[in-house]
Amino acid sequence: MDIVGFNLWYGEKQALFDVGMNVRKNKITALIGPSGCGKSTLIRCMNRMNDLIDGCRVEGSMFFQGQDIYGKDTDVMALRKRIGMIFQKPNPFPMSIRDNITYGPRIHGITKQSELDEIMERSLKQAALWDEVHDRLEQSALSLSGGQQQRLCIARTLSINPEVILMDEPTSALDPIATAKIEDLAISLEKDYTVVIVTHNMQQAARISDYTGFMYMGKMIEFDDTEKIFNKPSEDLTERYITGRFG
Amino acid sequence: MCAFRHNEGDHLSHENTIKKTKRFNHDKVMKYFLMAVASATVVIIFFIILFIFVNGASAIRDIGIWNFLTGFEWRPSTDTYGAMPLITGTALVTIGAIMFALPLGLGSAIFISEVAPKRLRNVLKPMCEVFAGIPSVVYGFFGMIFLIPLLRGFFPDHLLFGTSWLAGSIILGIMALPTIISVSEDAMRAVPRSYREASMAMGATKWETTRRVVVPAAISGIAAATILGIGRAIGETMAVMMVTGNTPIVPEPLWNIFEMLRTITATLALEMPEVVSGSVHYSALFLLALVLMVMVLAINYTAKMIIKRSRKKFGETISKKSLLDKVTEHEKVAKHTKMFSKMSILACLFAASFFISSMFVGAVISLIVAVLATMVFVSLMYTDKVAFKMGRSLMLTALFISAYMASSLFLDASASVLVSFIVVTAALISIPLAKRLLAKTKEKIAHFVLLSIVAVVLMILIVIVYDIVSKGLPALSLNFLFGYPEDGGLGGGIFPAIVGTIQLVVGTMMIAFPLGIISGIYLAEYSKDTRYTRIIREAIDILNGTPSVVFGLFGMAALVIYLGVGYALIAGCITLAFMVLPVIIRTTEEAILAVPKELREASLALGASKWETTTKVVIPAAFGGVVTGLILSLGRAAGETAPIMFTAAVVFRSSVSLSLLDPVMALPYHLFFLAWEVPGSETMQYGTALVLLLMVLFMFALASLVRHRYSKSIKW
Repeated sequence: MDIVGFNLWYGEKQALFDVGMNVRKNKITALIGPSGCGKSTLIRCMNRMNDLIDGCRVEGSMFFQGQDIYGKDTDVMALRKRIGMIFQKPNPFPMSIRDNITYGPRIHGITKQSELDEIMERSLKQAALWDEVHDRLEQSALSLSGGQQQRLCIARTLSINPEVILMDEPTSALDPIATAKIEDLAISLEKDYTVVIVTHNMQQAARISDYTGFMYMGKMIEFDDTEKIFNKPSEDLTERYITGRFG
Repeated sequence: MCAFRHNEGDHLSHENTIKKTKRFNHDKVMKYFLMAVASATVVIIFFIILFIFVNGASAIRDIGIWNFLTGFEWRPSTDTYGAMPLITGTALVTIGAIMFALPLGLGSAIFISEVAPKRLRNVLKPMCEVFAGIPSVVYGFFGMIFLIPLLRGFFPDHLLFGTSWLAGSIILGIMALPTIISVSEDAMRAVPRSYREASMAMGATKWETTRRVVVPAAISGIAAATILGIGRAIGETMAVMMVTGNTPIVPEPLWNIFEMLRTITATLALEMPEVVSGSVHYSALFLLALVLMVMVLAINYTAKMIIKRSRKKFGETISKKSLLDKVTEHEKVAKHTKMFSKMSILACLFAASFFISSMFVGAVISLIVAVLATMVFVSLMYTDKVAFKMGRSLMLTALFISAYMASSLFLDASASVLVSFIVVTAALISIPLAKRLLAKTKEKIAHFVLLSIVAVVLMILIVIVYDIVSKGLPALSLNFLFGYPEDGGLGGGIFPAIVGTIQLVVGTMMIAFPLGIISGIYLAEYSKDTRYTRIIREAIDILNGTPSVVFGLFGMAALVIYLGVGYALIAGCITLAFMVLPVIIRTTEEAILAVPKELREASLALGASKWETTTKVVIPAAFGGVVTGLILSLGRAAGETAPIMFTAAVVFRSSVSLSLLDPVMALPYHLFFLAWEVPGSETMQYGTALVLLLMVLFMFALASLVRHRYSKSIKW
């Protein structure tokens, strides 16, 4: 995925300034930066979730496999099927665990029960949740713990087999143990999927990502290998942020 | 890419394109479909106003608007149509109702919101809601059979028949109570906790916090509650018609609460069934309805503005730039509202004490008593202000004069002077004593007063329900429930009325549910803040404020006469459906808006379309709230009389018909008919009232059960 000269406005206020970066296939890319720097805004643009916000306007381009995400003839629903998203707060539907997972496949036209069961088992296993819930699939998803709920949401996204998974601070509402599980999960997803993760937590970015982008005030200050960003960043601002002198 | 098969037919395999796929996107089509349905409200209100206006126009031409509004004589037999006595009648009975309801309602609201422990509150709130559930005709029936004899017993010299302004105001006041209680309670609960904590942290008692922080902060909400209560009372038809005596005269003197009077709504309900279509009288009634609409709309609009402003006060979305302006503006509004409410309280107090004392003593002394009472109140209001000193000396003077006048009735001049001196000295000593009352004691007194107010309110409820249940139960028998009326209503049963009410409710449901739910979905999910959406919302508000008798009038003019349907089930159902439509739209919209946006995002991020998200995620999640609204609206439809009395209901049917074009009997109309025209049928009346009450309250109980279950099972 390539992002070139991307600008975004909320009404009069510009939130992203000339952002450029590229997301490599089957790698984990992290976005870090202080609160309000635009990293969540940027990630929400990648599958056009910002379309939902009134008065939101974009300029510049985002290419996914050579096609412009913001092109006129883009089918947003098909796009979102290929670029899935995990949100800050776990947001399972108030339905059973089974219905949560099969919702996506059903939407996309799968009706055969055996096929749905197969998808469910695969997704829950990939999300490392199968062992915990396989005997209570009919229970409400809201009865799960916060960490389990977030893994359920990941499983739900995996159920439609996307190519890219966007994670918008997926662990900010979780305790350290649940966070560790999500991180392990993200690393294990790397071989099959492309992952973009927004995080507040610099250690998290350092632990799991291959590439890191540092954003500040709506601008992409530096984008490089994670190793380089954390060990010898080329920008002064990045270094000050990494070493905890501001932000 | 994984252990997952992807052959050509597999929908989940990746297409090499993100261009338009075969899957049909319903969103655009659905949006326009929903918008078209939501526009129905606009069309309905347009036609209501059109019909009323067109029919009323010839009266403007024949009578002249000025003569109509200012004429003091309403006598259809001589084609004299002066609406003044009706307008004053409506105004007076409403003012009386508010004077009765405001202290009770406000006291109860304060008690429920601030004083009552959580468990008691959970009992009291639903009990207050029961008030709102009792149908208007049942209130009227209760007023006729219980309140009027009671009043006649209290004031045998003043009340010849018992039907009076006083009776009307009491009944209307009771009916306005639930509105006043729930709206002002909401306003007080919306006051942030931090305000209370800040006050308590400085050592203020709970009562001081309530009086000086919570109530002032919620003052605009309380004002809105009062105005909405007024709006409810003005539009009320059946109850007020049954207890006010319906004499189109202006009371003489103007404050004589024992005089009979007649309201606009009662006039419409009484004269509409008998009038010749197309005559001047017919047209004059429509013009009267127009006047009523304007009055109600003006009142509701004022309430809306006030609520809007008070919402802003505690809203979070105030930009920093304009914060200062807004704060000062809010302070101004709050100050005006406060002053206005103080003035109106004083006026009420003055008037009330004058009326009450004028029952027992002459006009001059009553005037003095009234001045005195007002002064005492003023001095209580300003105990800690500079104004207190002035108020005190004024009060002492007044006290002296009144003591003198009172004692001079029994004693000679010098003795009277002595007595008045003693009284004034006693007052002088007792005032500082009263001031020094400990804050804690004050709190205890205040809480006791509030508790007794709540007790009075509950007593009223218990008396109404107990009276109807205890006297209605003996009437219930198989023959009563499944028999046909005999002897012109004196005996037999009410089977056709029960069936008719069910038919009306089911028909109403079939028309109103789809329209209401779809409009609600449109407004919550698809509408943006465009001019057209605002027009739809405005139309819903107007429809919501329209008095039920006006719906009846519209149904009669448009369906029964213009379309030539005649008195028919279908005409009643359509009229009732229009009436409950705004309730359904609102509750549906609110339930849908309460679904967190995270759920929508989750679904959209999976590639679902907006329509799929709405139908498969949002509506199931909002189901409980939507169903609650539907049941409540049915309860309302089942209890209404005015909309069906000129469109569908007749006093007797010898068989049950399923045809949409036949008229039906209905419980509320049957109760009205028995109470109004069949003397000696008390047992039948009580039985009918009980069946109606049970039917309506059952629906309310069901609604709160659904709401309770859903709020438990789904936690966001």
